[in-house]
Amino acid sequence: MLRAFRFIVDLFTQRHGVVAFAFFLVLGILMREAPTTVRESIVDTSLSTVFYPVQLLTSSVNDFKSLQAENEHLKEENARLRQETYHASEGLQELARLHTLVRFDDKWDFPIVTARVVGHNPGRFLTTLVINRGTHHGVKDNMPVFSMNGLVGKISKAMVTHSSVQLLMDPNLKLSVLERRTRVVGFLESMDGRLLSAMIPSHAGVAEGDTLITSGLGGIFPKGIPVGTVRAVRKADLDVMSLMDVAPFQEFSTLEEVFVMEKDPDWIIQELLDE
Amino acid sequence: MSNYGWLRTLLLFIVVFSVQSTVSEWLQILSIGPDFIVIFIVSVAIRFGPATGCFWGFLAGFTQDVYAPLEWLGANSISMTIVGFAVGQLEERFLTVNLPAKVGVLGLAFLVNDVFYFLITGLEKDVVANLLVTRTVPECIYTLVIGAIVFYLFSGKKADV
Repeated sequence: MLRAFRFIVDLFTQRHGVVAFAFFLVLGILMREAPTTVRESIVDTSLSTVFYPVQLLTSSVNDFKSLQAENEHLKEENARLRQETYHASEGLQELARLHTLVRFDDKWDFPIVTARVVGHNPGRFLTTLVINRGTHHGVKDNMPVFSMNGLVGKISKAMVTHSSVQLLMDPNLKLSVLERRTRVVGFLESMDGRLLSAMIPSHAGVAEGDTLITSGLGGIFPKGIPVGTVRAVRKADLDVMSLMDVAPFQEFSTLEEVFVMEKDPDWIIQELLDE
Repeated sequence: MSNYGWLRTLLLFIVVFSVQSTVSEWLQILSIGPDFIVIFIVSVAIRFGPATGCFWGFLAGFTQDVYAPLEWLGANSISMTIVGFAVGQLEERFLTVNLPAKVGVLGLAFLVNDVFYFLITGLEKDVVANLLVTRTVPECIYTLVIGAIVFYLFSGKKADV
């Protein structure tokens, strides 16, 4: 075994590392060019077999089980109450504006799963988290993830004991948002993995400091989860739209616990996702 | 590199990633933080040469790729492999690299890594230009400062890593 290892090392160090360089470069290019299913398989296997156990181990150093259980219970309750407060506020605003009944379909009556963040991207582009809850705990792909402060993202891949969370900062996650004051709908995305931007019609007069919440139109996130505040309004390429820098309510790098809402995507979205 | 050396570097690799995930956040100034992973790659490559630099560069890149968007898989691996190999050409067995030169190499490695990464991910030109000015350059300078301290502290112990 050791001899085989030494042989490989000797082979790779030949010609001043050119063999090793070519090998790893080709490996990288193959990964880059691989079909999506193969990439998923690479990421899932690596995450499940190597990275998750290591990160779980390192993150468990300061884990006091008894306190944690109590904390989780309290935080779950707190999160639920906060949701209800936000929902009540939404309902009141709607009631005052429309002088009609509160819409029942906005109610968040989905069960919540509390999860601990056990790992995240160690690089400078934070786009994914790993949580310690998976299909065994009722978590499924595309379920919304939020924290006490606001929306965090969605489950990108649920495995048996853990799941990957696709953060709002992921350039591949785009969501429909609603401005709370003007009630105008736009969409939110991160173009570079670092900053959040929203595109909202210019005529609505959305200004700095306004609040964005989920619109419920995308089929994955329910209506009314706070997303962030508008930090700056800029001109977009199209005159009819304004491009806005958005500061999320939740600072992702400091997340320790999150809540997964056991809400499946709307059927039409589910069909599109399945395809 | 001896078997003990591999094990020691592996432990260091885990420590560096833990530090990057925790300490780096605390050290942030206006959302600009240092990149301990590039410091690690440069240190290992200078100390042990291009083959080892490639290996740890690839491993570090892959570790970051696993948590990056699926569409970008391989981008970090390729860019860090290139950095590991290029910096490894300055292996200490053959060359004496003093502290200012090491810091210079670190800065160059940081920039090369980011440029390759942005090119491979296929981000739009204006987004890349914006990232280079607002992120890469400030983070490079910050990493240089931290790297200089790390190199200075460990240079006397004949172990740059």
